[in-house]
Amino acid sequence: MPAFAEGPPPPKEAGPLGLTLDAIDEDGAIAEALEGLYGSTRASFLRGAALGSAALAAGLAAPAAFAAERGGDTHILNFDLVFEYLQSTFYFSGVRVGTVAKMTRPKQVWAHTLGAHELAHVRILKSVLGRRAVAKPFFNFHGVTEDEAAFTKTAVAMEDLTVALLAGQAARFHDRALTAAVFSLLTVEARHAAWARHIAGYVPVAQAFDHPKTLDQVDAVVRRTRFLASAPRTRSRKQPKFTG
Amino acid sequence: MRSFVAAGFVAAVAAAGAVAGLRHYTNDSHAAGPEPTGGRLALVLPEPVKPAFTVPTPKPLSTPAAAAFWAPVARAVVARTAPRADGTAIATLELQTPEGTSNLVAVVADTVTKGSRWLRVRLPVLPNNTTGWVPRVALGGLVPVDTRLVVDRELLRAVLFRNGRRVFTAPVGVGTTQAPTPRGQFYIRDKLTGFGSSFYGPVAFGTSARSAVLTDWPAGGYIGIHGTNEPQLIPGRVSHGCIRMRNQDIARLARLMPIGTPLIVR
Repeated sequence: MPAFAEGPPPPKEAGPLGLTLDAIDEDGAIAEALEGLYGSTRASFLRGAALGSAALAAGLAAPAAFAAERGGDTHILNFDLVFEYLQSTFYFSGVRVGTVAKMTRPKQVWAHTLGAHELAHVRILKSVLGRRAVAKPFFNFHGVTEDEAAFTKTAVAMEDLTVALLAGQAARFHDRALTAAVFSLLTVEARHAAWARHIAGYVPVAQAFDHPKTLDQVDAVVRRTRFLASAPRTRSRKQPKFTG
Repeated sequence: MRSFVAAGFVAAVAAAGAVAGLRHYTNDSHAAGPEPTGGRLALVLPEPVKPAFTVPTPKPLSTPAAAAFWAPVARAVVARTAPRADGTAIATLELQTPEGTSNLVAVVADTVTKGSRWLRVRLPVLPNNTTGWVPRVALGGLVPVDTRLVVDRELLRAVLFRNGRRVFTAPVGVGTTQAPTPRGQFYIRDKLTGFGSSFYGPVAFGTSARSAVLTDWPAGGYIGIHGTNEPQLIPGRVSHGCIRMRNQDIARLARLMPIGTPLIVR
């Protein structure tokens, strides 16, 4: 019996949340994008797990800063920052809702470590961008962080997609110093991806080459998802009508 | 044979370096290229590009699981007595509160029924302390809360805890015996500011609690936590059910208490 499955398992039925990619990808666009990114076998796996990864970029198109400097260093860094926001919030949410605490000790170490790394990435990117940094979006993980299986699979898809994103963007910076810095993120994210795949029981390195992904490709994948949500409105200036 | 291999290796490195625009130095700086064998070749590679930033040492995620959660209502949904579609309907959760803010509920339990996840939530309905089950998909993302506000109607005092530690306390006014502040477990629904009413003071929190006697009150008779224009009445049993605080206290509470905070009235 191999330590790892030969490949990703076939797509599973919707988890307890009923939130597989099929549920949100009515026109098949996300699956098609994943097909191109990962190949058909892996895409099949991701159809059940990629809600998180696909959702990554949901907010990427939203911040106005992107449109203002599309293609520039700031634009790319902010794009990466939203990814890091998403990842750090994802792991943090898993911890806060108690999902991680129910995991085995090795999985807890994995989730805590990756969460801490992603948070460090957020901090440094915010520091580099300064006032140009986009605000943290509001995320709705649709229950994925509340279910261990969904959490783990989504983490795999999310880390894989992050590698594809950074591989596609690292060389695009006009400032070579930024390229060098983002490469240091890329290598760490690649290790995250391998660790996540190991944790999930899949081949850590599924293919000989990583295929980079453009911002538009990622954006197209993510736009159809709903991880990035409108923040609930909890304040008002309306005259109270409480009993007094 | 060995020197031939070495020469070939050096030549390969030299060629690669030439392609890459590297500079090669030998003991004779005017030499056209590296010596094929036996020369003292010093290959000087360019320094790596200095990164624009380096990631600092990560801080551990030491934060434990939260004690309480709330979630916004993502779509109007019927809350039921049991976690299944044929459970008896209790109430419909709308998208908005009477104050025009997003409706939200405190989440107290979860379960999976026939592959679907359900959450048990506190309902802002009468009778107070009612809970009901809603499909997980009807709610937005869970938001953790580490605070808890306890209002003691006997001691006429409110205490805010964060992670079990007391961080705020203040005297309060509560309902009269004719219109008592309801007892039970509720949650903070919204925060109103800038409404320009001295009666409610500078800040008013909406809660999920409702007056059991003022049922025909406008907007449903919800209980608020707010300031006052009569601070001399606090502490006391002076209100129509709302929890009143002196303005400086409610302003301080507003800085400490997030939306979704559980409210315990005893």
